[in-house]
This record gives sequence, C-alpha cells and structure tokens, in this order.
Amino acid sequence: MGASTRQDFDGLFSLYLWIGIGVAVLVFAAVAFALVRYRDREGRVPSRRSEANALELGAATLIVAVVSLLVFRTFSTEAKEDSTPPAPVRIDVTAFQWGWRFTYPGQGVRVVGDDTEQPTFAVPGDETVAFALRSADVVHSFWIPGERFKRAAIPGRVTHFDIRFEDRGQEEGLCTEFCGLRHSGMRFDVWVLSRASYQRWLSAHR
Amino acid sequence: MAVGAPVALPAGRALGWLVGTDHKRTAARTAVVSLGFFLLSGVLALVMRAELAQPGLQFVSDHSYDELFTMHGSGMIYLFLTPAALALGLYLVPLQIGAADAALPRLSLWGFWTYLCGGLAMYGGFLTADGAGRDSWNASIPLASSTNTPGVGMDLWVIGVALAVAGSLAIAVSILVTIVRRRAPGMTMLRLPVFTWAMLATTFMVVASFPVLVVAMGLLLAERHLGGVFTGATGSIAYQHLFWFYGHPVVYVMFFPFVGAVAEVVATFSRKRFFGYRALVVSLLLFTALSMAVWGHHMFITAAVQNQYFSLTSHLLAVPAGIEYFDLIATMIGGAILLRTPMLFALGFILQFLIGGLTGIVVASPPLDYHVNGSFFIVAHFHYTLFAGSLFGLLAGVHYWFPKATGAMLREGLGKLSFWLLAIGANVTFFPMFFLGFDGMPRRVPDYAPRLGDLNLLSSIGAGVIALGVLVFLANVVVSLRRREPAGKDPWGAQTLEWWTSSPPPRHNFESLPAIRSYAPLLDLREAAEAWPAPEEAAAKEGAAA
Repeated sequence: MGASTRQDFDGLFSLYLWIGIGVAVLVFAAVAFALVRYRDREGRVPSRRSEANALELGAATLIVAVVSLLVFRTFSTEAKEDSTPPAPVRIDVTAFQWGWRFTYPGQGVRVVGDDTEQPTFAVPGDETVAFALRSADVVHSFWIPGERFKRAAIPGRVTHFDIRFEDRGQEEGLCTEFCGLRHSGMRFDVWVLSRASYQRWLSAHR
Repeated sequence: MAVGAPVALPAGRALGWLVGTDHKRTAARTAVVSLGFFLLSGVLALVMRAELAQPGLQFVSDHSYDELFTMHGSGMIYLFLTPAALALGLYLVPLQIGAADAALPRLSLWGFWTYLCGGLAMYGGFLTADGAGRDSWNASIPLASSTNTPGVGMDLWVIGVALAVAGSLAIAVSILVTIVRRRAPGMTMLRLPVFTWAMLATTFMVVASFPVLVVAMGLLLAERHLGGVFTGATGSIAYQHLFWFYGHPVVYVMFFPFVGAVAEVVATFSRKRFFGYRALVVSLLLFTALSMAVWGHHMFITAAVQNQYFSLTSHLLAVPAGIEYFDLIATMIGGAILLRTPMLFALGFILQFLIGGLTGIVVASPPLDYHVNGSFFIVAHFHYTLFAGSLFGLLAGVHYWFPKATGAMLREGLGKLSFWLLAIGANVTFFPMFFLGFDGMPRRVPDYAPRLGDLNLLSSIGAGVIALGVLVFLANVVVSLRRREPAGKDPWGAQTLEWWTSSPPPRHNFESLPAIRSYAPLLDLREAAEAWPAPEEAAAKEGAAA
C-alpha cells in the first residue's frame, strides 16, 4: 500500500488513454485512406476479394495481446487497492438522505452535515486512512474526485477501503448514486492536514 | 402511403392498420410509435440541457428534474432504441431471407400493442399527482420502494417498463422464429445477409435477458405493494443483479442491428461484397455469448461482485468488436465508394461509436471505473455508443431502406444537411461531458459546481444543434413523401433479396425469387452477367489464394 489511489489511477489511465488514442488514430486514418484512395471514379472496378481469414486471425491475436496487457495491469492495480493492511487512521462514514456522518472511532469525534450545511472532515496527509462506509437508508456512493476513487454505500453492508491523501488542502466529495430529491446537495469537503494540524483539528472537534 | 395490397377485412383499411398482421405493417407501426417516443424523450433532454446550461436551478425543480432524466433515459431505451431496432428487423428479415411473411405474426402484433400500452403507462405518469417515474432508468432498491418513492406514477412506470419489454420480447421471438423456419429454398444459415445475422444474434440476447427484467419489474411491484421481496443486506444487491443481467445485454440489442445495417450500407456503397462474412458471424456469436457474462461491471463499486471476472469478460469484448471494425474497414478498402447520405451516417456510426467503444474499455477496468462510475464521463461514454453510434446506424438504415418501404427516395441535400448538423451537434454535446465527469460532475443532478459552467454551456449549445438536425430529418421525410421521387426496385445497386421485389413490396413480399448462392444474391447476378465463368468458381479461386 505505497501509492495513493490517485497515483494508481493516473498510471493505469494513461496506459488506456494512449492505447485508445493509438487505436482511434489508426481507425480514423484507415477510413480516411479508404475514402481518398477508393472513391468511386471513372473506370474504378471494385475488388472481388471478400475474405482473408489469416489476416483476421492476426488482427484478433494482436487485440488479444493488447487486451492481455490491459487486464494484467488492471489486475495488479486492483490487487494493490484491495489489500488493506491495518491503518493508523480509521474513519467511519455513514451516508443518509441527504448528508454524511463522519466518526473517528476511539477519538470521540463526530462530524455531521446535510444538504443545507455540508460537512467537512479532516485527514492527515501521507498516511493511509481506512474507511468503513455504511448507508442509513438507500444506496449512496462516496466519491472524492481528486483521489480518483469511490465506493457504493449499501444499506445493511459495511464497505471497507483505504485512501492515502497526499496534497495538503481542501478537496470536494459528493454522492454519485441517485438517492432521491436532494441528491445533488449531498456533498462534503475533506481537509488534508499535516499530522500536527490534524491532531489540533481532532482536539477542537472533541 | 401504400404498404402492399390492403388485407380484406370487413371494416377495411383503418382496421387493417390497427390489427393487420402483415409483418411490414406491424414493423411500420412500431417504427412510427418509437419515433414518437424518441421525439418526446428528446424534448425532455432539451429541457435538461436548458437547466444544465448554467449552475443553480433556473427552470425546473429537483422533483421535475428527477422525472426528466428518468423518463428521458427509460423512454430512449425501453421505448425508442430497442423497439426501433426490432422494427427494422421485423420489416427486413422476412424480405432478406425471401419469406412471404414473418412467423408468429399475431405474436408480434400483440408485442406492438403491449409495447405501446407500456409506453403510454410510463408517460401517463406525468398526469398523476406525484408525477412520472423518478428513480432513473434502472431504479434501485430500497430507493424505489413505496416509502421512498410513493405515488401512482412510479407504479405506472414499473408496469409500463414490464409491458414495453414484454412487447419487445414478443417481436423478437417472431423475428427469431422467422429466421429459423421461414428461409427461402437455398437460403442456408451461411447465406443469411449480414443484417439478418445481426438480428439473429440480437434476438438470442433478447430471449435470454428480457424475461429477467419483466420478472424484476414484477418483483419490484410486489415489493412496493406487499413488501418483503428485496429485504435486508442482500435485497439491494439482488435487484441490481437482476436488473443488469438484462441491462447489459440490452446495450448490445441496441447496437447489433445497427452494426448489421451499417454493414449492408458499407458493402452497397463500396460496390463490394461484405468482407470477412464468416469472421463477422463468429464475432457476433462470441459477442452474444460474452454479453451475457459482463453485467457485473455495472457493480464494480459495490464491492459485492467478483470484479476480476467481470473485468476480464468485459475487456474480452474488444476482440469481437475489433473483428467487426476490421471487416467494416476492409469492405471499404478496394471498393468504389459512393458518399451518399446512408454511407455518411454509416461512417458517422463507425467513427463515433469507436469513441464510445474505447471509453467502454476504460470502464471495464475497476480501478478506472472507481473514478468515473456515476459521473458525466459515463454519460458521455454511453451517448457516444447509443446516440453518436446507434442512432447514426439507425439513420443509415432509415435513409437506405426508406425507398424500399415507401417507394420514394429521401432528398439527398436535406439528408446530408441533417447528417452534418447531427454529427456536429453530437460531438459538441457529448465530448465535453468526458471532461466534466473526469473533473467531478456526477450524473443525475440539476445543479453543479460553478467551475463546470463553461463546458456545460457548450454541451447545451450542442443539444440545440442536434434538435435542428432532427428537425431537418423530419422535414426531409415529409417533403419526400409529399413530392415523391419514385425509387424503383433497387435505387442503390444493392446486394440482398429485399431489393429484388417492388418498392414497397406486395403483401406477400415476392412475385419471384432469384437463385440464392451466397449472402449477396443480387451481386452474384450482376457479377454473373458481367463476366463468365460463374461467380462461385471465381470466389473459390480467391478463397484458395487467401
């Protein structure tokens, strides 16, 4: 559990992005080539060739190779994110219509807010934070876009995940699972603080 | 509009239009009704884009916005793209395989009426006190329970979805049985036209997955009124499994028929036989099999499914998709390409669907899905597949087969104008949504952070251009039907049997049939007329060379 979810995402995404751009350029170029070279002109006789199974098999093999690379990188990233060693900071999150409750077990700290006044909770930077996510009513989803990560909050289930925040400062979070009337107001903020500031924040909220 | 000779019924023509069992009439009715639902659901989208043009709430309330996106999504999927795809199949499959009518014509007629009733029930919700369905096109448990979403409108939505999907299922069964039982002599399975193969694969998926949604909606209705169905920690997940077991295959139900249509258009306007027919058939079947094994990728973020398994199957979809692209492009290479309106829409489908497909591979990867799931990135992704892809494929098919169904040509100038408006509109509307989602804009919200305002405004302007493109298309249909330019049997120099008969075809489709020796019988005849020896010898020689 070295890298943050953000680094995991960025590394994997750039691989998918560049392969995707490569494929798109290839297909656009092939179509453009066909349109320029094989337009219907005086005297142009279309080819009667209609099969090239060896070539098809070659193309399929190439795609399988690329897909294997993608799946391999996906699986190794996923395995890294799934492993949850004991983390020093634990936060229990409960989503409800339409707000969030953050509790720090053993610290006596609790932050609650809803769509009229959104909550702000704090985490120490560069430390792994273990979240336990619950829902009090319907399905919600806990998304921190800056950390490139989300998990669904499902009533009756507890979902565990780790996030390692790096950059100090404020980040926004929101619900991405449609959960009723005030879904769009179900937001929160995260303060990513230094260890010392985090301790001060905790004592101020006891 | 004359569609064949009227059936001899006591009350005459009007009754014939209501209960006539000719597959062409049932298909035309379904197509016209689905076009109506497309326009309705499209207007809802325009209202949404007007609301989203600026941050904050301007035109609608939270409550109305929930109805808007629910009815837009469910209208487009249950009431437009699925039935429109099946209508295209019901019209063309009997003609492509040389049949006098579809099998089980009363079943498909029942399907049409059931679908229409379902659509009216869904939209009828707007007339109730609490408004129409408002829990998104997929609904979720426990949000869709009667305590969280009370009201008759939501009940009507649940019943309407079940009816619409059951109706589509009936039409699909009729198409499937037609392909199996009604092929003309000589029309073997490996001589079925590409579009008919695509419809066969489509109906396999419909038969396997649509009953599950009908059952899920029945259970949802029972949950709302009796309770105790989707309970406890597993209820919510159980509903999601049932829904997505239907919800992913249906995506390909809204894709395959248009791949088939585009393949026919590309072959005809490249003046060439479709390239890699057998590889395409294999890829369609592989795609069909995989389509039933990928539903869990909609549930990556629940941590309640085996992510690796569903990620693997979802990535593998790139293989049959790649073969399809290879074949489409290889059909153009070496051809003599004519850029008529159907071909423009086909090219729009190929290039724009690619963007939807490639971003689909991104969301097949759980660690990437953890970011973009539920965001506007997903909205962009599936609008590139369904709007910039499937709708363009449908319009390629409509512009291609309109002369066959009506006997009149569509105007080329208006057709090209509508193509360019729709292509520009689609990209201006949907491309910014990738950035919006990446940057933190969730789906299904009427309000968003002010920093996202510029891209949203751009997207809303694009939606206006789309609306203009749709209007030009409608004007083209009206003008072309009013001042008819007769199409004749085969205005395009096409390759398949539907172009052998008159336009529109007579009640029993064919007066005569040519010999069927391949998947392009009319091209065979032209090639035979051009050069002797017979085409199958030449084809055999080429096969040996490959």
